[in-house]
Amino acid sequence: MTTLRAFTCDDLFKFNNINLDPLTETYGIPFYLQYLAHWPEYFIVAEAPGGELMGYIMGKAEGSVAREEWHGHVTALSVAPEFRRLGLAAKLMEMLEEISERKGGFFVDLFVRVSNQVAVNMYKQLGYSVYRTVIEYYSASNGEPDEDAYDMRKALSRDTERKSIIPIPHPVRPEDIE
Amino acid sequence: MAARGHVQDPNDRRLRPIYDYLDNGNNKMAIQQADKLLKKHKDLHCAKVLKAIGLQRTGKQDEAFSLAQEVATLEPTDDNSLQALTILYREMHHPELVTKLYEAAVKKVPLSEEYHSHLFMAYARVGEYKKMQQAISAQDEKLAQTMFLPLAERMVEKMVKEEKIEAEAEVQLYFMILERLGKCVEALDVVRGPLGEKLTSELRSRENKCMMMYQRLQLWPECNALSYKLLLKNPDDWQFYLSYFDSLFHLMDKSWSQPEEGEHCVEGPVQTTVTEAVKFVVDRMEEQDKKESRPLRGPYLACLELIHRLRQRGCPDEKELGDPLELMVQFFGKFGDKPCCITDLKIYLHLLPPEQRSQFKKRLGELVPLGEAGEDGFGFPGDTKALQRHLCVCQLSRALGLQHALDTEGKLRLITELKAHYHHGLQFGKSCLKTELQFSDMYCLMAAHVYVDLWTETGDENMLWQCLGVLEEGLSFSPSNAQFKLLLLLLFCRLGAFQPVVDLYSSLDAKHVQHDTIGYLLTRYAGSLGQFAAASQSCNFSLRFFHSNQKDTSEYIIQAYKYGAFEKIPEFIAFRTRLNQSLHFAQVRTERMLLDLYTEADVTLSLEESVKAMGVCPEEDDIPWDNMRDNRDLTVLVSWDPKDRELTEEHRRLSLEEESVWLKVRSLTLRLLASLALLGHAPSPRNSDKTNENGISAKSSTLQTLLSQLDQTLETAAQITEKQTQYPFLGPPSSRLASALSSGSCITSGSFLFPHADLCPSLPSSLSPLRPEMLSRCKGEVLEMKDGRLTTRPSLLETLVFFVETVCVVLWVASYSASVLRPLKSSLQKKKKKKKDSSSAMPVVLCGFQEWTGSLQGVVTQALDHVKGQEASLTALKLAALTLEEGYSQTQVGSVQSSYLGSLQELGDLLRKRADSLKSLKI
Repeated sequence: MTTLRAFTCDDLFKFNNINLDPLTETYGIPFYLQYLAHWPEYFIVAEAPGGELMGYIMGKAEGSVAREEWHGHVTALSVAPEFRRLGLAAKLMEMLEEISERKGGFFVDLFVRVSNQVAVNMYKQLGYSVYRTVIEYYSASNGEPDEDAYDMRKALSRDTERKSIIPIPHPVRPEDIE
Repeated sequence: MAARGHVQDPNDRRLRPIYDYLDNGNNKMAIQQADKLLKKHKDLHCAKVLKAIGLQRTGKQDEAFSLAQEVATLEPTDDNSLQALTILYREMHHPELVTKLYEAAVKKVPLSEEYHSHLFMAYARVGEYKKMQQAISAQDEKLAQTMFLPLAERMVEKMVKEEKIEAEAEVQLYFMILERLGKCVEALDVVRGPLGEKLTSELRSRENKCMMMYQRLQLWPECNALSYKLLLKNPDDWQFYLSYFDSLFHLMDKSWSQPEEGEHCVEGPVQTTVTEAVKFVVDRMEEQDKKESRPLRGPYLACLELIHRLRQRGCPDEKELGDPLELMVQFFGKFGDKPCCITDLKIYLHLLPPEQRSQFKKRLGELVPLGEAGEDGFGFPGDTKALQRHLCVCQLSRALGLQHALDTEGKLRLITELKAHYHHGLQFGKSCLKTELQFSDMYCLMAAHVYVDLWTETGDENMLWQCLGVLEEGLSFSPSNAQFKLLLLLLFCRLGAFQPVVDLYSSLDAKHVQHDTIGYLLTRYAGSLGQFAAASQSCNFSLRFFHSNQKDTSEYIIQAYKYGAFEKIPEFIAFRTRLNQSLHFAQVRTERMLLDLYTEADVTLSLEESVKAMGVCPEEDDIPWDNMRDNRDLTVLVSWDPKDRELTEEHRRLSLEEESVWLKVRSLTLRLLASLALLGHAPSPRNSDKTNENGISAKSSTLQTLLSQLDQTLETAAQITEKQTQYPFLGPPSSRLASALSSGSCITSGSFLFPHADLCPSLPSSLSPLRPEMLSRCKGEVLEMKDGRLTTRPSLLETLVFFVETVCVVLWVASYSASVLRPLKSSLQKKKKKKKDSSSAMPVVLCGFQEWTGSLQGVVTQALDHVKGQEASLTALKLAALTLEEGYSQTQVGSVQSSYLGSLQELGDLLRKRADSLKSLKI
């Protein structure tokens, strides 16, 4: 029971119930505007019948087509505590994957804190696998390195041989990822 | 800059080396090369500009600027010069000059799309929205409707005919143009036609646009059929249930009937009767019932929504859908273990008649598997699903008003039960990470809510302390629960203890736009409780955000344009406006300046210097009173209260009204202080008396205007406080208006300053220093301990703050008076020397003033003694004697005590500073 629609600037004033979660980052305005300006179709919000925001997904398309690295990327995915366990995150991921399919992406990828087991398991259930580990990808608000990330991927239909998701055994540094 | 297109132009070849030098950072060589080139080709303007860039980058700004202006006055239209000047002006931080440049270019070459586009972007960068909107679309509606949009339409039409439209963005733009022109039929044709097939990147983009147009055109058959179709595909998409029901009832009202032949409408079959709708909804429910996988909530809620709507229309057919009670019980049976069950059902509880409420609760209870009741009479759930069901029943019974109906005994027993469930439920979350919530957290929060009910009903402060205790415990098991933090924060504020609030708020990690939406939780209380340093910091957090917004948004308007996200351009502009017109923004900028004046002016800088440094102009009002936007998130605190206790639109309106009036009082105070400061130029003895008077009367008329505005505002304020609006506890805090008026603060009395406006020589006698009752209103113990129980009176702190603020204002008025009287006195003394006889009136003024400052000194000394006394008695309290059995947590009691002390210290410090400046008032 959800209204799925494009995220708009006005939603920034209403997303506290989602963003006051400790693992959900509230970015500066430019960050959101950049996504809204460049990839508006990739920014989707779910709204409850009472008008509360339930959750949202924010993503983009990037990478070189020639090198078969053109792909959808999940930048943020968050669901408010009271709307969890409804399969909403899965639904939003499915939408992002569909958009990426339409754009002819080879795969969809995302970064997740290695400690966020709940999320890692959910992504695994949705068909994602760990492609590589990125060392100290996350930093604390003081700029100090905080935590490693898993770079998780799921192949799309264009990548018939599923080449894009063959794991890289050695961890990489944030500066080495494109 | 190096990447440039057309190589054929010989000038390009000539300029190339200069570009390369500049790109490589070799500015000197660039300048030399440009000079060389200019010797041969005097009219090669671009070379001049490139030289100017080199000069600019080597620190010769003035030379660079005058060189650039040489070229700019020629109004160049060649691409090279224009681009180079753009770069130069941007580096000089003069983006406004770029707009002039392209304005001229566009005038000379009106058909250049490229220049129009550059001009648009230049406007966006400078933030000249009015002009920008004229340049592309809608704000200047008339111009847009008569000129730009039709022009744009024709341009696109031509492109369509020539089959030149290829990109999705172009179709989007075409649709937008038609939509804004009100040509909905044409817009619909575009979306439904072959061009519409290009709308692929957004999911359901075509359907959404069609739906929008159907609704605008009131094409209810199409709207109905499309909703029906989409719901068959996704029976969980709420927006289409709404459009399905809306269109159905419109069709019924119009007695629309199916055409006898042919298709119903392009979108397929249309449903026009309640019977059909009922069947549709029932079918969707049955579909879910049969499903193996997780059922969707949509159809079941749609059923309740349909009953709700039929009831509104007085339509008896609702019975065919079933009894709401049974339907809700059924819904609970299916979804009771989901945390959102309460949110879903809450909207439809009004479908139950009051006499069914207890029965409903009982029926739900039967669906909750609980273990055997123990000694305390409580049975507990065996797993998290059962826990969630039980919790949901508690939430629903609160929403039905059943908890509020309990007497004190009943409520206390309820709290015991909720706490027992809370503690029992912790076992399910032993492996939870720090970042996760405990399964039973909401029991704890609800226990806190019931404590708050008891506190507000009975006034028993012990309930408040118990409430703090239970939340503190909750936070220890679930350290990232934002709801615990928010409620704790609110309660500490209500207790007048701001210090613990600072850490709580910072642990919420609120950032950026959240400063606008929940920053009010901090800024409402920090200053009013005398925590001036924290208040200043809180304002700064918010101000930093608002100021950066001004820069940030422009860039993305340009980006949206570049990437073809045209629909986002008006959205971004509206967003920027919404932030600029934010109530909170106006509040923090006003409060921040007042705080600076109260705490700093006449300490390090004079009032006049402070006012000038802040750039406050008494004549200027920069607050958008008529368009103020309330961006506060007033439902950030979770509430399961029944509908009649919930925040209403009326509450929102009243709260905004109240805050606006208080803001007006504050902003007028600030501007009055500014005008007083600027008035305070001591009349120079060299000037003749006449010019003095003229100079002053212009300024004093501003003062008069402001005073009469303040009087008017205070009248409105009095009317508002008479209403005594009570907001829901978890809703917006009341403004400071009522406490300001009851404090007797002179800030809230315009006439206090009035006699000074015309510089009446008898001013000191008409100026009673500070009404003595003001200080007496501050007297009393802010924290008392009696028989092992604490009593707090935080309002005393607030009144003391008003008193201190008043002292500051009075002192500035006095120091202004002193500046007027000083020359008077010296001229009198001179006269006295010449003539032995002098008029007797003048000395009275002077004596009066001295008497007056004397008595002010007395009041301030008394106040300081009072603060000292308070600090001493606070420190002397033996709080360790308080026991946990009484519900006191030592840490919390300690932090409240130290916060009170902190407030008193800051207030005392400020008073001492003021006492010092009082000494300099001798004339």
